[in-house]
Amino acid sequence: MTDSKENKPASPQKNSPQGRSPKKPYSRLAPYSRELALIGLTLLIVVLFSILYPYSFCSWDNFNAILRNLAFEGILAIGMMVLLVSGEFDLSVGAMASMIGVITAWLMKVAGWPVPLAVSAGLAIGALAGAMNGVFVAKLRVNALIATLGTMGIFQGISLLVGGPGITFLPESFSSVGQAELFGLQSPVWLLAALGLVVHVLLTHSRFFRQLFYVGSNAKAARLSGIHVDRMQIFAFAMMGAIAGLAGIVYASRIGTATATVGVGAELQAIAAVILGGASLSGGKGTIWGALVGVFFMALIKNVLIIARISSEWQGIVLGSVLVFAVALDSLMSTQKE
Amino acid sequence: MTCNSTPILRMRGISKHFVGVQALQEVDFEVLPGEVHALVGENGAGKSTLMHILSGVYRPDGGWIDFNGENEVVFADEQAAQRHGIAIVFQERSLFGPLSIAENIFAGRQPIGRFGFVDRAAMIEESRKLLAEVGMEVDPQLPVERLSPHQQQLVEVAKALSLRAHLIVLDEPTAALTETETDHLFAVIKKLQERQAAVVYISHRMEEIFLLADRVTVLKDGQHQATLSVSETSPQELVTTMVGRELAGESFDRGAPPVDQSPLLEVRNLSDVAGSVPRRVELKEISFSVRAGEVVALAGLAGAGRTELALAIFGARSRTHGTIAVDGQCLQQGNSRGRCVADSIAAGIGYLPEDRKEAGLFLEKSIASNIAAASLKQFGRAWTQDSQIAKVADEYCQSLRIAASGIEQSVVSLSGGNQQKVLLAKWLLVKPKVLIVDEPTRGVDVGAKAEIHRLLFELSRKGVAVIVISSDLPEVLTVADRVLVMAEGRISGELSHEEATEERIIHLASQVEVV
Repeated sequence: MTDSKENKPASPQKNSPQGRSPKKPYSRLAPYSRELALIGLTLLIVVLFSILYPYSFCSWDNFNAILRNLAFEGILAIGMMVLLVSGEFDLSVGAMASMIGVITAWLMKVAGWPVPLAVSAGLAIGALAGAMNGVFVAKLRVNALIATLGTMGIFQGISLLVGGPGITFLPESFSSVGQAELFGLQSPVWLLAALGLVVHVLLTHSRFFRQLFYVGSNAKAARLSGIHVDRMQIFAFAMMGAIAGLAGIVYASRIGTATATVGVGAELQAIAAVILGGASLSGGKGTIWGALVGVFFMALIKNVLIIARISSEWQGIVLGSVLVFAVALDSLMSTQKE
Repeated sequence: MTCNSTPILRMRGISKHFVGVQALQEVDFEVLPGEVHALVGENGAGKSTLMHILSGVYRPDGGWIDFNGENEVVFADEQAAQRHGIAIVFQERSLFGPLSIAENIFAGRQPIGRFGFVDRAAMIEESRKLLAEVGMEVDPQLPVERLSPHQQQLVEVAKALSLRAHLIVLDEPTAALTETETDHLFAVIKKLQERQAAVVYISHRMEEIFLLADRVTVLKDGQHQATLSVSETSPQELVTTMVGRELAGESFDRGAPPVDQSPLLEVRNLSDVAGSVPRRVELKEISFSVRAGEVVALAGLAGAGRTELALAIFGARSRTHGTIAVDGQCLQQGNSRGRCVADSIAAGIGYLPEDRKEAGLFLEKSIASNIAAASLKQFGRAWTQDSQIAKVADEYCQSLRIAASGIEQSVVSLSGGNQQKVLLAKWLLVKPKVLIVDEPTRGVDVGAKAEIHRLLFELSRKGVAVIVISSDLPEVLTVADRVLVMAEGRISGELSHEEATEERIIHLASQVEVV
């Protein structure tokens, strides 16, 4: 910044002669330690419960049920991962999903719009509302926690205004899509897989998306490397908004009803899953497959608790502990790097 | 002054070693009660380290401190030093912005009234008295962040007064002050002196030292060089004592400086546009040009505006006015509104920032990612080809001799010199016409330093206009074909490679007339 830091006593590693620290053999998998640990843990639980509950747990129906239930949060987690890579996060996504769900339902049921038009409009509104979050954070420099806490309240309020007790009996052409099955899996699961694949390819290979890693890793350095940091962050928020909208629409389609409260608490689930799956709250890292493993892990925990007949009160306790553990792990690992 | 009394502070044989550097070597330092004692030396001479030891931030490896009649005192931490009556006003202020002036003055030791609650009325009343002593008439309940830098500094002095400090250290107190504010501060210092408080005054500015100080101690490369009575020395002698060192045996075969080349970078009348928020440094009417194949150094003191100038040229400083042209192509005419860093890079400007960890590197990212950061477009417009990045990164690792286990190693684990080479590779990759490097060898070991110098020199001879910002004068003299010296946001002088000496640069930088 300025040239004022006169004879600073140089932190040790700065002045250490070259090669003083022993070279560690580099492993290609090292950056994915968290994801791999999670996969290991997931497999462990799967094996353990397959032995303990060979009939109720280890069955196609149960596996299918897990996937069906994680589709909604999985879609949110994909957007959240992209956002966390850019160094931000969004608390309004649950409310956003509810809002776009009921707005889309209202457009087709009350306003009588054709289904494709209503869905497109819903997604566009989601992107726009997300971009608004982005402008608050990137341009007006409102902390993401505060900005999206605020918009969460706004979106939730709009959901209740538009949706009331719920918009039911949605057009057949809409709800049939969400309930359709292919190879025994419901369409939301396929959508999640497709979206995951597309975003994964974009995030790892497209120049535009890869700039997000730089933005999240060091925004100042990114700016001085000619990357439009503000634009990238607004984009990531807009994408999050559209994806949250998609999740809300898909959910409404699957159950044939849009309610104003479907997304309550989903934002925290999505953030927890994404952190578990290798993202860092300080940004710059993360993979889509990690996010999906995180989501699967959380759904698996919920599932095994039910299978083991542990009362539902324990769900919050276990998942809460998992989240705290994940964040503690995150900070422990980042301080070790220093 | 009171020259024959016993010293209030006596530091004897103070040594301090940091990994890889002997920061202080058996330094002796004495201060008499009621004197203003200037402490001078080049960047890196050890002034701040010595003061950090005095204030209890660091423990010395050797030597002892006698203070105020107590022998061999040990300051375990800053509070201990404070309790003994030592107050330090550092360059980076240590105030709590959102809290009131009174809360700041009495931080951690608020007067306690009835029921064990803070006696706010007493605290405010006492603060008012202290502020009056430093010549401030403001409401003590005002949050400190609303004050100007000068007023904040005075609040720190007021805090020192309230601690009944016997010794007050002021570290470059005038760096951010205007002339009238400086005069005001000097009056306050004189007042402190009348109360028999000793003042240690760290400054680069010769005129201030000769106006204010009774004695002056010179440090050089961590060693005590001389303690002189100000009335018996001259600015010239002081500068020579500060500098008097053998130059590193590093030189280049310069060849003829490329005079006939047309300028690659031309800056005309670059100034800051005044805004609502006052800035630390205002750039004023800066004009210069750099030819292809030339290394120009920007020298100057802390806060002279060198980094600010670099950012303005790079399009990363808002509200500037003036003309900037690269290779005859005008980049900015008039206000800078709308120009961004990406445009500057596209036009062929590279900027390697001063603080490499904060503003340069993506620490947890790989060497390859760091090298590619400013040139992603070269590796595919829509889809980035990792294999190409890897190839290019490998080439740079070889040619710049970056010591790493591979291009996938994260840069956080590299040594300072190798980190700097990664940044250099990043900017070489954009194929710049103009490359600005800001303190390119700070915190870099000697071997890597020479290598970086050679790289910059070779780069310039390949037809790049290179600007080196450096506070390291031997470095400036080694690499530069031409030296531009900055002071207070202007270019205060220009020296050719042959004309440039450390003395001349310091004189121009501290704006002392050369005799």
